[in-house]
Amino acid sequence: MTDPLVLGVESSCDDTAAAVLRGRSILSSVVEGQSDLHAPYGGVVPEIAARAHAEKVDLCIEAALAGAGVTLAEIDAIAVTAGPGLIGGVLAGVMTAKALSAATGKPLIGVNHLAGHALTPRLTDDVAFPYLLLLVSGGHCQFLRVDGPDRFVRLGGTIDDAPGEAFDKTARLLALPQPGGPNVERAAASGDAARFVLPRPLLDRAGCDMSFSGLKTALLRARDTVIAGKGGITERDRSDLCAGFQAAVTDILAEKSRRALALCPGVTAFAVAGGVAANRRIRAALEEVAGTLPFVAPPLALCTDNAAMIAYAGAERLKLGQTDGLELPARPRWPLDDSAPALLGSGRKGAKA
Amino acid sequence: MNAGLTLVFDTSGPWIAAGLASNGRLLHAATETMARGQAERLIPLLEELLTATGTRWAELTAIGVGTGPGNFTGTRIAVATARGLSLALGIPAHPITAFEMALAPPTSLVLLEAPRGRAYAQRFADGRAAGPPEVVDPATLGPDAPPVRAAAPPSPAAMARLLHARLSAGAAPDRPAPLYIRPADAAPPSDPPPVILP
Repeated sequence: MTDPLVLGVESSCDDTAAAVLRGRSILSSVVEGQSDLHAPYGGVVPEIAARAHAEKVDLCIEAALAGAGVTLAEIDAIAVTAGPGLIGGVLAGVMTAKALSAATGKPLIGVNHLAGHALTPRLTDDVAFPYLLLLVSGGHCQFLRVDGPDRFVRLGGTIDDAPGEAFDKTARLLALPQPGGPNVERAAASGDAARFVLPRPLLDRAGCDMSFSGLKTALLRARDTVIAGKGGITERDRSDLCAGFQAAVTDILAEKSRRALALCPGVTAFAVAGGVAANRRIRAALEEVAGTLPFVAPPLALCTDNAAMIAYAGAERLKLGQTDGLELPARPRWPLDDSAPALLGSGRKGAKA
Repeated sequence: MNAGLTLVFDTSGPWIAAGLASNGRLLHAATETMARGQAERLIPLLEELLTATGTRWAELTAIGVGTGPGNFTGTRIAVATARGLSLALGIPAHPITAFEMALAPPTSLVLLEAPRGRAYAQRFADGRAAGPPEVVDPATLGPDAPPVRAAAPPSPAAMARLLHARLSAGAAPDRPAPLYIRPADAAPPSDPPPVILP
């Protein structure tokens, strides 16, 4: 029997995306970014993102169908990110997908965005369960033991900011363009990581939890000390600050990965996903931590937000017979592992992670 | 067989107003008020309208969607749904603004309640928009200005009639988009970037 043809839709942050997938083969994957819209504000503005998504989701779907050379009638199921994320954007994707499902009678599958990232190593490398995943992106940072398509055990995660956010903030503090990740990495390449010694928060504490907020503050102080001396910073200062920052993030992620691996004997691989996984220095450090265990890092286009991973995660749910009704809600918060104690957020809105 | 079956809906405020019409004449309608939950309720409610009239999705020939101005998120819920239905069914989705729904000739100026004591305003002439919509302070409009209309669910019958008139005129719509009028609340970062020294 051939695998079902699945349409994936993603709109949870600042990328509008649609993809068509059969089995593990990606027939098309369209990603429309919004960097230019958010650039003047130094970060993603939720209302601006929502406005863009609402008028792009259907266009991306059309482009993905055309790119795959299929019609909507040939699609077997529609998978859509139903959270967590910026609710305005998630809603745009969910409503469009529900409309397609209602009008065509095709099954609807709500996908957790984090599950999309977490299952990507199976899409790209057919990794067998269980495996350890470090999800590290602009909005998330957590260690997950992936036991099945819908079984995730969170071993630890950030208690405040995500590293991607910290990279963006660092870029802003040092007058580098957004997105911060690649620009800070480029500047760090020629920098001296030893000149500014920045903290490695929570490394002195047991477990796999991480913190990046204090690191941002430390970077700001180091920068201000330089500015106080001469009224600005030189390219040299900037490169050294970037290198120091990147080294601190790398050390935190590497050491916590070592601990996470120690907590899950018997895993088949150590995989990494999320935009920060694109950083070569971090990637190399994680690969070293993996040692003899296979290390899986998907290509960049499948590390950052995309709809192929949503289609794939949807296909895995479909295989388990899990589909959703047309009342499918969009959820701003949706932890993958409901059994783990909340790391971030609580109260009326519920746990964030 | 029902010719010219159209579906109209609006979620631009704390409500869902929807109707199914044949040649502009309402067959069935529903209006539900709700502070939240429109995203969960909208499509099931539309399916109820179809079921009540024995209509299949594939029989629809056009969609009319309320584009506001109104609640930003609510407007997007309806617009995204309309665009999805339009794509899946291969039928046009026509935007219908809250101004068009509220227009009551011979009045030419339509004023709609906006946040913070303001009003959304648009002028019409002969039933057509005679200028762009804007945000105004109602206190500055003088004694001849019509009253500001409070936010309320639109009449599905009126939406169906407006859509029918649009279709009869042979209008080919752009894809519907929310009518925001107000820009997104966003400010550039307050801390200036450092000076980069040579």
